[in-house]
Amino acid sequence: MSKELEKGMSVIVKTVTRLTVGLILLYGIYILSHGHLSPGGGFAGGVIIALSFVHLMLAYGKETALKKLPKQATSFFESMGALMFLSIALLGFMGGHFFLNFISKGKPFNLFSAGIIPLCNIAISLKVGAGLFAIFIALVLLKFDSEKKR
Amino acid sequence: MNIYLLCLVLFCIGLYCVLRKRNIIKIIVGLIIAEYAVNLFFVLVGYRMEGRAPIFSPDATIANMVDELPQALVLTSIVIGLATTALLVAIAMRIYQKYGTFDITKIKELKG
Repeated sequence: MSKELEKGMSVIVKTVTRLTVGLILLYGIYILSHGHLSPGGGFAGGVIIALSFVHLMLAYGKETALKKLPKQATSFFESMGALMFLSIALLGFMGGHFFLNFISKGKPFNLFSAGIIPLCNIAISLKVGAGLFAIFIALVLLKFDSEKKR
Repeated sequence: MNIYLLCLVLFCIGLYCVLRKRNIIKIIVGLIIAEYAVNLFFVLVGYRMEGRAPIFSPDATIANMVDELPQALVLTSIVIGLATTALLVAIAMRIYQKYGTFDITKIKELKG
């Protein structure tokens, strides 16, 4: 336990992080799922989701954050977002043309409406969130030669 | 008109940072300030007095909305700015690895 406490920042920062990081993740998911009704959408929601993991890494050190979302999983989700967006677009060929909104539109201003647009938002947020976190991981894990010698 | 001049002042602060500072991190911060000054200018160009956000909601009248085209453009610009900033920070870290300093006046010799 004492070894766990040594890594990362002070106890105050860790406690506040433990209380707020779930709320930040939930807020990102809210922005993402209401993207077709209110300001926000795939990019903003993805950035907020990625920032919750960045917050965890800044406060607790890289081991704890990488245990929650490993490098391989980040890479997988990033590729998955791009493939999901492409496959949603290609599925439009079932009805006729590219990016066809083939799911029923529903009533306007409902949460479950607008056909494929929420699905596209989810794909974009996977791509953006995993990509931003991957950039952060790449900057954190960059080892210099002088550090390796020590 | 005044508010556009304030945008220009903000851009000039960023330009001063890029041209005059010697620390690479400060140069990057100056670039970000200049970029956001341009973004602010684009959003201000599309603004109308007493206008509301261009979002369609059930109980809203269509009249008197601000122009939404610059906002869409600025959203794209912010995404590109994020990527370029990440690239700049990565290059700055590489320079620090090679030369051991962030001061651009001390980065002289080519080391292979």
